[in-house]
Amino acid sequence: MRFAVDTGGTFTDLVIDDGAGALRLFKAPTTPADPLDGLLDVFAVAATELGTSRADLLGSGSTLVYGTTRSINAVITGTTARTAFLTTDGHPDILLFREGGRPNPFDYTRAYPPPYVPRSLTFELPGRLDYAGAVVRELDEAALLDVVDRMRRVRVEAVGVCLLWSIVNPAHELRVADVLERELPGVPYTLSHELNPTLREYRRASSTCIDASLKPLMTEHLTQLEERVRAAGFGGTILMSTTNGGTQPVAVVARKPILSLNSGPAMAPVAGRYYAAADSRADTAIVADTGGTTFDVSVVRDGRIPRTRETWLGQQFIGHITGFPSVDVRSVGAGGGSIARVDAGGRLHVGPQSAGADPGPVCFGKGGVAATVTDACVVLGYLDADYFAGGDLRLDATAAEAAIREQVAEPLGIDVSAAAAAVLEVATELMVRAIEDVTLQQGIDPRSGVLVGGGGAAGLNAVAIARRLGCGEVVIPEVGAALSAAGALMSDLSADYAITHSASTARFDAEGVNAAIEQLRSRASEAYDLSAPGVRAELVAEARYPHQVWDIELPVAVERFTSDADVERLKADFHAAHRDLFAVDDRDSDVELLTWRLRVTRVVSDGTPARLASATDARREPRVRLAHFAGAGSVETPVVAFEDLVPDAERVGPLIVESPVTTVVVDPGATIARTASGSLRVVLADRMTTVEPQPGVSA
Amino acid sequence: MSTASEKPKVDGVRLAVLSNRLDGVVRSMMHTLLRTGRSGVINTARDFSCCILSGEDELLSAAEAAPLHVLVGPDLIVKRLREVHPELGRGDAFLHNSPYHGNSHAADHCILVPVVDDAGVHRFTVMAKAHQADCGNSLPTTYHMGARDVYEEGALLFDGVKVQADYRDNEDIIRMCRLRMRVPEQWYGDYLALLGAARVGERRMLELGAEVGWEELEEYVGEWFDYSEQLAVEAIRRLPSGRHRATSVHDPFPGIPDGLPVNVEVGIDADAALIEVDLRDNADCLECGLNVTEACAASAALLGVVNSIHEDLAINAGCFRRIRVRLRENCCVGIPVHPVSCSAATTNLADRVTNAVHRAMSEFGDGIGLAELGMALPASIGVVSGVDPRTGEPYVNELFLGVGGGGAGPHSDGWLTIAIPCSGGMILRDSVELDELRHPIRVETQRIVPDTEAAGRWCGSPGVLVEYGPVGASMSLLYAADAAVNPALGVRGGEAGPPAIHRRRLADGSLVDLQPVEELLLADGERVVAQYPGGGGYGPALERDPEAVRRDVREGWISADRAREVYGVALDPDGLVDRDATEALRRALGGSAGS
Repeated sequence: MRFAVDTGGTFTDLVIDDGAGALRLFKAPTTPADPLDGLLDVFAVAATELGTSRADLLGSGSTLVYGTTRSINAVITGTTARTAFLTTDGHPDILLFREGGRPNPFDYTRAYPPPYVPRSLTFELPGRLDYAGAVVRELDEAALLDVVDRMRRVRVEAVGVCLLWSIVNPAHELRVADVLERELPGVPYTLSHELNPTLREYRRASSTCIDASLKPLMTEHLTQLEERVRAAGFGGTILMSTTNGGTQPVAVVARKPILSLNSGPAMAPVAGRYYAAADSRADTAIVADTGGTTFDVSVVRDGRIPRTRETWLGQQFIGHITGFPSVDVRSVGAGGGSIARVDAGGRLHVGPQSAGADPGPVCFGKGGVAATVTDACVVLGYLDADYFAGGDLRLDATAAEAAIREQVAEPLGIDVSAAAAAVLEVATELMVRAIEDVTLQQGIDPRSGVLVGGGGAAGLNAVAIARRLGCGEVVIPEVGAALSAAGALMSDLSADYAITHSASTARFDAEGVNAAIEQLRSRASEAYDLSAPGVRAELVAEARYPHQVWDIELPVAVERFTSDADVERLKADFHAAHRDLFAVDDRDSDVELLTWRLRVTRVVSDGTPARLASATDARREPRVRLAHFAGAGSVETPVVAFEDLVPDAERVGPLIVESPVTTVVVDPGATIARTASGSLRVVLADRMTTVEPQPGVSA
Repeated sequence: MSTASEKPKVDGVRLAVLSNRLDGVVRSMMHTLLRTGRSGVINTARDFSCCILSGEDELLSAAEAAPLHVLVGPDLIVKRLREVHPELGRGDAFLHNSPYHGNSHAADHCILVPVVDDAGVHRFTVMAKAHQADCGNSLPTTYHMGARDVYEEGALLFDGVKVQADYRDNEDIIRMCRLRMRVPEQWYGDYLALLGAARVGERRMLELGAEVGWEELEEYVGEWFDYSEQLAVEAIRRLPSGRHRATSVHDPFPGIPDGLPVNVEVGIDADAALIEVDLRDNADCLECGLNVTEACAASAALLGVVNSIHEDLAINAGCFRRIRVRLRENCCVGIPVHPVSCSAATTNLADRVTNAVHRAMSEFGDGIGLAELGMALPASIGVVSGVDPRTGEPYVNELFLGVGGGGAGPHSDGWLTIAIPCSGGMILRDSVELDELRHPIRVETQRIVPDTEAAGRWCGSPGVLVEYGPVGASMSLLYAADAAVNPALGVRGGEAGPPAIHRRRLADGSLVDLQPVEELLLADGERVVAQYPGGGGYGPALERDPEAVRRDVREGWISADRAREVYGVALDPDGLVDRDATEALRRALGGSAGS
């Protein structure tokens, strides 16, 4: 039996894979004071439902994958360790200056953001390397000892070390480590060349200091996790889901806690990829996870989990860049709790302010007064006031309608249904924009994709989002309400190996490149049998034209380069990819290749994909209620249970599908059916009108 | 709009949806330029802008753009295109940089593409504009301050030149450019990046038109402008009516040996919801490269106004219906005529226009206006060139190292990395490692300089020190820094910011002073040491929150002595504010300051 736990802001999710083909999904409230209480609670909830004891349930598990927002919360609330930043002499303000830029060129009301590590805890070390790693000035050990002394006096709890050009020659950083080990024993530190060997000192310094600042806290937290689940009866392997969409033993994460940032949401695309492959033929999956306050989106193309080095903790230019390779999951402030308002000019806004879980939407009756997206969904008839969260929370539909009427309908001069529809439409548009930001960055056309909806609120506008994007297909997995936890159970299925080896098509060094590829394959072979059926090893190169400084990920068509034709093919593929993304290519130019990656995927055995076991609560009878659809007005809409939809029996919208954990709204004309994997699959009636892409320019 | 009093009836939903869509189109263009550009000024510093113009050639959307690139100018350029090419067809692309026809300055190359629907109707125009690493000037700099006229300036000029028809290059033009631009491969790559950005914009606009319908889009455009105007109306109505003048004096420079005052007069009519900026009372065009183009003069004035209002505005042609700028032909901050040189039109005198407007606006009352921003162009963002001894290849590029310049406003301290006032802080900074990899240079230092900030209730950003120079070869460095003599002034009792300072560090380590304007050849091992100027302060220093002063001391922005002497804040041995001592100090200092 395998467990995946995801500690979110509101709920702690548990997904259990019984090893015999059945998944079970459980939820318990998150306990912010000590999140491990909530973790043990959700096992108690599961044990009760399964008719066993918590100790027996835990005792039967082989693996526990843990996901948590603990580290990101610590960063947001400023409760990380008192961290020092050691930098090259002359460059104390790397974290202060950043890479420049700001969100709005006309805004002079916003304070300049403070550096991740204050200047008062920043220390310069004399010593300098050049771009080739040659020593310009030796590290001044006396000065280093003086710095250590000053750090001791101000009781530093962690140290981030980022020296210029350590990625080419780590000698100075390693020497600093020796001295720290000796002089400040027990104070954790992070060396930039070890953590994140990447060019551009701000990004590297930022990831280094963030990592160091999390070390005391996460070491403590993960130690406690281990102690408490062991004490509660678990004897298996404890893994943590990581920011790059894989899992790692907790000891590894404790040494590199930056891996735990985004540890939950990074798993959503892993699950999304699985369901997209099982339920759709599209090669692009847009995975969207809708929570109460945020909407997390990622795009999986050709089965590849998207990655980025530009993740910001907080708003771009205002927060801090992690600078660390991670799954590209973007969050926008749009969710069920997002607040709707009309400004002085008569324009409707939705979010980013959120009513959160407390006081929450007006309809929750917990003191919320601002109209929210959830209130709009009640007005539209999408949410059943008596069956929200399986009936655990009764919604106040009258209050929701009053709020939408006063705060949106009247200022806009439209009726309350139209106002509610408008709120949802603007929320939809924000989500579409978040998706487009991701697809644009990668030059992906969302129309060729399938939208995979996760999170309890996904189904409310998943079909509307798909319609706006022009993609014809939506998949809502059975485990969609706990997509991240479900993803964690699948995450051992892929791995990513990288090696830096510069090459140019001008003087292609086939021997060197082939050796690099061979090295990648041999590293991958330690964990995977690359020749086994179902194992796919895909080679990609990070490529660019000379003098460009940003790369494109280019799939490499050959396993090794044996002829000039192979190189010509690589060039032609790059020109095509560049043209596809950016409308132009440079046919006469050579192509530079920097980093080579081998992505290994082990396809799930096609025998019996794990399925959600039937819900235990009483099945609700089909019913009808009035729901509002843009363009169709109020329509008598059949409401059916998730369980009532079976494979090969298509239903046509308008239709609302409910389960205790989710509601799916199907527009008039769209068709819906259950798939073999248990997901709901919606096919849109009318694809958007599209135009052929315009010809670009060829040089 | 007929009268200012009646609120337009708008479709608030459509506004929200489509304005996001158009911003998305512009961002996809910006993204293309950044990712594909070849020179550092484009692919790292992001010194470029993209925008969409309506069918009536009005600025519609310019998300993330540098203000001086787009506020006024793109509209004038499209009007010019229509004059010289009455038929604009699908597949056309135009190269334009003429400073006499709507462009900012010759170094900013623009690619414009008309968005033409299937019926052949020209619906919108998309434009991508990027500052070039080199534009063929007679000197290896894109800011030729001393040029007596356009001939001495030397840039290749393009006046609505059709560089593509039916999506194909006119190779003749490409060959001309290759012969004139330093490092032609880099130029060509940047040209492709500009073209790609414009074509991506065109592609996305065609998709949008097909999806939403062209008529519906046109309706939206009308509503969007009305809505944006309405926001401006409401904001201006909250301001007091009146007229104020201000003068910002440019330093002595080639062509203006005694410096040059830039005068503005700002009038606010709150009842009519109108703001007028008059730039006509200024010198005639100068015999140097400092003349400001029509586009930049108008944009700089508009920028000064919107920076000073501190309200949420939608910045586009609708907003500008409420802000009028008066310009005069043959004026150095007006409408220069050929063959006057406008090589530095985006920076020096334009900075002074924006700053003078900030100060005039500040006179209207507390809570309005902004201190002056630190001015360009010190050596920290100088143009370097030479031959890289590691490869034997020539290079030329504008660096963007440590920058400062933020002036304080009524709500916050100056934003540290504003850099060039006209960029609004949108330009990004270089990475030291990337610069050292790309060019044979070493950056020794980048840091803020303590105790240099303009004191105020809100402080200007401090001076920023940068030291760098060539490694293994000599290197040409051109820079021209204003604010060495006349630094950024504060407003409403705030102090002036630190000046630009330049020194040369010789191989033996000794320092010698440099002029604010230099064409240097630095020898191997020599360094330039430059202080980027800071912005001015807002309000009296004695009104600054003592807790902010305490933080400034703890963080090493100012010394405890300065806290006491300038801000009247006393700290106890633990570094906490000593309330009684502070009160006494402030009383004493306030008495002598007469406040």
